[in-house]
Amino acid sequence: MLGKIPKWNLMLGFILITEIIIFGLINPRFLNITILLNSFNDFIGIAIIAFFVTFVVITGGIDISGGAIIGLTSVVIGILSQVIGINIWISIILAILVGGLCGLLNGMLIAYGRVQAMVITLGGMLLYSGVAIVFVGLSGVSTYEGISGFPQQFSNIAYGKLLGIPHSVLLFFIMFAIAYVLLYWTRYGRYIYLTGINQRAAEYAGINTKKIITSTYVLSGLSAGVAGVMLTSYLGSSRADFGAEYLMPILTVVVLGGTLITGGKGGVVGTALASIIVGFLQIGLQMGGVSTQYIGLSTGLLLIISAAFLGISADFKSSIKRIISPQKNSA
Amino acid sequence: MRKKSNILKTLFGIVLLVFLLAACNTNDDGATKDTSDGSDSSGNEAASDIEVVFIPKMTGNAFFESGNNGAQAMAEEIGFEVKYDGTPEGTVANQVQIINSAVSSGADAIAISSVTSDGLNQALQNALDAGVKVVTWDSDVDPEYRTVYINQGTPEILGAMLVDMAAEQMDDPNAEQQVAWFYSSPTVPDQNSWVDYAETYIAEKYPNWEMVTKQFGEGDEQLSLQIGESIIDSYPDLDAVIAPDSTALPAMAQAAENKGLTAEDLIITGFASPNSMRQFIENGTILNHGLWDVTDQGALAVYIAYYLAQGNELKVGDTVDVPNIGEVTVEPNSVQGYDYEAEDSGIIVLPERIVFTKDNTNDFDF
Repeated sequence: MLGKIPKWNLMLGFILITEIIIFGLINPRFLNITILLNSFNDFIGIAIIAFFVTFVVITGGIDISGGAIIGLTSVVIGILSQVIGINIWISIILAILVGGLCGLLNGMLIAYGRVQAMVITLGGMLLYSGVAIVFVGLSGVSTYEGISGFPQQFSNIAYGKLLGIPHSVLLFFIMFAIAYVLLYWTRYGRYIYLTGINQRAAEYAGINTKKIITSTYVLSGLSAGVAGVMLTSYLGSSRADFGAEYLMPILTVVVLGGTLITGGKGGVVGTALASIIVGFLQIGLQMGGVSTQYIGLSTGLLLIISAAFLGISADFKSSIKRIISPQKNSA
Repeated sequence: MRKKSNILKTLFGIVLLVFLLAACNTNDDGATKDTSDGSDSSGNEAASDIEVVFIPKMTGNAFFESGNNGAQAMAEEIGFEVKYDGTPEGTVANQVQIINSAVSSGADAIAISSVTSDGLNQALQNALDAGVKVVTWDSDVDPEYRTVYINQGTPEILGAMLVDMAAEQMDDPNAEQQVAWFYSSPTVPDQNSWVDYAETYIAEKYPNWEMVTKQFGEGDEQLSLQIGESIIDSYPDLDAVIAPDSTALPAMAQAAENKGLTAEDLIITGFASPNSMRQFIENGTILNHGLWDVTDQGALAVYIAYYLAQGNELKVGDTVDVPNIGEVTVEPNSVQGYDYEAEDSGIIVLPERIVFTKDNTNDFDF
C-alpha cells in the first residue's frame, strides 16, 4: 500500500508531521486546530497558483508571472465593482477571466512563438503589474492607498466558514481536486507529462503539444486570478502590489513538491504537501518567536536540501539502472 | 536502494536539526511563561510574562529601526518582552499575516504602524476578539480597531510647525511668498491632515502667501527626485517648498543640490529623520527640518501596550506615568479629527517634537 505512494511524497508527509509535532512542543497553541485551519488564508494564494504552475513546470516551462496577475486581478475587481459599479460577482468572474487571458498571452507566445518561457513570463510579470498600476492611476485612486469599500458578502469569501471549516481550506482542497483529476485521471494529464518528457516524441505521437503547453499557462493564469480574488477579499482592498512577494514562494513550493524543474516529472500531491509545509513553517517559526524577516532562511535551507536531494536521487537512479540493465540484457 | 534510504535518513536528520535550532531560540521564554495572569500590575514577575509584538511598516528603514531601538530599551528597563516583527516589503498581506500569527502565538498586545488605513481591520478585529490589546503608533488605523494611537502630533501641532519652520527662514514672512507642497500622495491620511491644517493656519497668519502647487512622490525615491527637479524648473519664482514626507524631503533637497541651489535661493523644509538630512544641513542646502523623536515614540508605544496587557484600562482623560518620558494623557479621538468616539479609544500625543538645525543635528541618531 505504502509502496504505491512516491517516496518523495512520503518524505514530505513525514516532514509535515514532524513539523507539526516539533512546533507543537515549542508552542502548544500551534496544535490548536482552528489556528492551523485559519492559517491557510496566509498561503492559499501561493498554494493554488503553485498547483497549476506545477503543470507548466511538468511540460518543461516556467511561469513567474503569477504574482503580477494577482495584483492585476485585484485591481480589476476593485475598478469594476467599486469605480464602475458592476455587480461584485460578475466583477469577480471577469477578473478571473482577465487572469486567464494573461495566461493565454503567455502561453501563445511561448508555445507558438517558441520563445523561452522564462523570458516571456518575466516580461509578462513586468507588463501585468505595470498595467495594474496604470489602471489604478486611470481610476483616480492613488496606488499608495488602493481601492476599498467592498460589501460584506465579498469579505465573506475569505473569512466565511462552512460547517466550521474556513473557506480558504475548502478552496485549497477544491483547487487541489481539480488539479489532481486533470493531471492523473484524464488523457490531458498524460499528454502534459508526455510533452514534458520529450516534446518532439509527443508531437510525433500525434499530440498537439503547442495546445497542451498553451493550456497549462491559461490554467496557471486562471488560478492566479482565483488567488487574486481570495487575497483581495482577505485584505479588504484591491491594490496593484498584491502578490508581488509571491514569486519565490510559488517556485519554492513547486520544486520542494518534487517537480523536476526541467520537466517531465512531478505532481500536485507533492506541491500540496509542500505548500502546507512552507505555510506551517512560517507560522510555526513565528509562534516560536522567530522574527518574520529571518524565516526566508529556513525556507531556503529546506529548498536547497530538497533540491540537492532530488538531483542526487535522479543520478542514483540512472547509475543504478546502468549497473542493473546490462546484466538484464545478458541474462 | 539501500544507499538512497541512508540519504533519506541523513536528510531527515538535517531537517530535524534545523527545527531544533529554531526551537533553541525561544526555550528560555517558554520556560518562564507560567500561569500567573497579567492583572497583577505591581510585580516584575507579571511583567516578564507579557509579550508585546512591535510591528513596523517595514524593516530595514532607519526610521522604524530607531523606533525599535526605543521599544527594546523600554522593554529591557521594565522587564517585559518585545518582539520586533516585520518584513522588508511593507505590504498589507505581510502585516495581516504578522498580526494573525501574533494572535495565534499568544502575544498579549501588539503595537503597529499600519501601512493602510483600512486593510487591517479584519485582522485587528480578530486580535481584539482574542483579547489581544491593540496600540497603533506613527500611522493609525480606523479608531474602532485600536485602543490608543501614539500620535506624533495632532494636525494642529504639526501643521503649524511646518509653516513656522518655513516662516522663520524668510526675510519677511508677511510679504508675498510662493510656497509649494510636496509629499507622498493625495489620499494618505496623516500628511494630508497636516497640510489641510497648515493651509488654514497660513490663511490666518500669513495671508499673503500663495500656494502654487501640490506635488506627490508616492513614497518612491526616484520619482520624488524627478518631481523635486520639475518643481524647481516649473516655478522659477518659488520661495519655499514644504515636504512633510520622509522620502519627499531628502529628494527635494537632493534636487536643489543638483541644481546648485542653497537655502538662500530656495527654502526647503519638512519632516524627515536627521540621519537622512544631515548632509544637506551641513552643506547649506537646507537650514532646518523637523521630526518627532521616533525612539521615544517606539518606547511609548510598547509601554502603553504593556500597560494595557497588564489588565489596566485606559479611558479618555486618564494619565499614565511613563518611565523616562513623563506623564502622558489620553485625549479623545477628535484631536485627530475622527468622528468615532468611545471611552476606550483615544490618542496619546508625543510630548515633544524637534526642529533640527546645524547646531543640534549631530545630537541625534535616527
